[in-house]
Amino acid sequence: MTGPEPLAPISLGALLAAATEAGLRALSAAAWPEESADDEVPPLAGFIESAFSPLLAEVAARALRRRPGPTVPGTVTAIVMVTAFGDTASATRVAAAVDAGKRVSPLLFFQSVPNAVAGYLAARWDLTGPVVCVSGMSAGLGIAALLIDDGDADEALVIRIDLAGAGDGLDRGAALLVTRPDRNVPITA
Amino acid sequence: MVTGTAVRSAYGPGTETLLSGVLSGRPAFAPVQRFDVSARRARFAAAMAGSPQLDAEVAHTIREACDDAGLAASDRARTPLFLAVHGDPAAPRAAAAGRPAPGPQAFAASAAHACGLAEQDLRCYMSACVAASSAIGDAAAIIARGLADRVVVAGGYLVEPDQFALFDAGRVLAGDGQVRPFSAGRRGLLLGDGVGAVVVESGEAARARRALPLVRIAGWGRGGDAYHPCQPRPDGQGLARAITAALRRAGAVAAGLGYINAHGSGTAASDPAEANALRLALGEATETVPVSSTKSLHGQALEASGVLELIVTLLALRKGMLPVNAGYLGADDGCGLRLVLDEPLATDAELAMSLNCAFGGANTALVVGLP
Repeated sequence: MTGPEPLAPISLGALLAAATEAGLRALSAAAWPEESADDEVPPLAGFIESAFSPLLAEVAARALRRRPGPTVPGTVTAIVMVTAFGDTASATRVAAAVDAGKRVSPLLFFQSVPNAVAGYLAARWDLTGPVVCVSGMSAGLGIAALLIDDGDADEALVIRIDLAGAGDGLDRGAALLVTRPDRNVPITA
Repeated sequence: MVTGTAVRSAYGPGTETLLSGVLSGRPAFAPVQRFDVSARRARFAAAMAGSPQLDAEVAHTIREACDDAGLAASDRARTPLFLAVHGDPAAPRAAAAGRPAPGPQAFAASAAHACGLAEQDLRCYMSACVAASSAIGDAAAIIARGLADRVVVAGGYLVEPDQFALFDAGRVLAGDGQVRPFSAGRRGLLLGDGVGAVVVESGEAARARRALPLVRIAGWGRGGDAYHPCQPRPDGQGLARAITAALRRAGAVAAGLGYINAHGSGTAASDPAEANALRLALGEATETVPVSSTKSLHGQALEASGVLELIVTLLALRKGMLPVNAGYLGADDGCGLRLVLDEPLATDAELAMSLNCAFGGANTALVVGLP
């Protein structure tokens, strides 16, 4: 564990090194953008006006598709989201509507917390582990390790999202599917 | 062990005020005065008087919890803060105005600095209504594994116009001004102020300071629904897994629980799902363990719910009086539980559980016991 982290562009290499430092083994990894074709985040049905949830779903799906080998039945996967500022695009929209005395879209209620897209991911990929969201990567990796050691998960999908307004002007994301090096057998809680 | 607590709620500042408020059985809901709700369908919330600011309230509450625990300045300087908040409350309007927003981590760092807590190992949890309960479970787990000897866990939510507008748009706020968990005729949830802090430390660390533990955090569990972005899994399997894990860690059986402070949001979908989870995890004990949702009294404090409700639970356990499940109109076939109704229930229970659920199918269970 470390102190507050400055927000810097996401480096997959640095994240993998941080995961190793936290005692975790990466099963797969993914980022956005990864290649020149990654210029527009694929939309996600039900989520509007912000790239936060679509971006999170896209990098998570990439990491899950790259899992080495099939999922062992009964594997419990936690979702650990890391975001320095959260869904600033949605929050700004809501604040503007409130300040103008307008009603806000019900769809913005359904995406008002990072947990919502985690629920989408969990249902889509049958991820039955805990759902957590924190603001720092070292905390996120520490929580992933703790959940596995505690037996509440076999593995964790750690996803970091930084929207454009938070850093260098680009929406960025990364996802690591991690476990403990000594964990091979799924738990059955 | 929990060696210090402090809290602010719609009933006012302090644990004694909160305890007498919930044991009065009188809900703290009133028409919202803090901001304009004329464009909203719903009108009610549980808010303290005036215009409290989240940063100041969080800092006051953390300091009071540290004082309650008798923590010396040197102890505080070595103790990390896990803070549960929705985010930096200034951020949405700062971003719109082109101003740099410090963000949630900086908000938490500022609180830690203001209270003389460690700058290292700071965490900011933003996992909606399980943010604070997740932080408490993690703190207990870290301490149990010897990775830390003490953590201050705090959470804060003050009713404000943005979340009120969102919940109103989602049509989940009770238009009748009452939260009626597990009841026929329930109309939804109502938001409530909640700022709470607990000092969690190892038994050894507490003994070394000659600090008297208030309660022990005996068990914790977390589980996911894998069902929907914002609807709970109807069969309750995710929450049942969290309950089972918490009881296993506590070395307890279901019948050993003397009280459950349920998540009990008072919404149509959530309450029967929770009742199913309790039946799955507790079996026949569901018919005998007293249950109430104190959200029917102090409201839904979002990210701070877990710490506010844990404090209510430990105060009730120590007092030997269980608060009522307010707003009850009659039985709902899908929610058959042994609810505490009409008046507080005297108890000699030594073990209780606090449950929290959130969007994304996130569920937590915390078990506390008298030391």
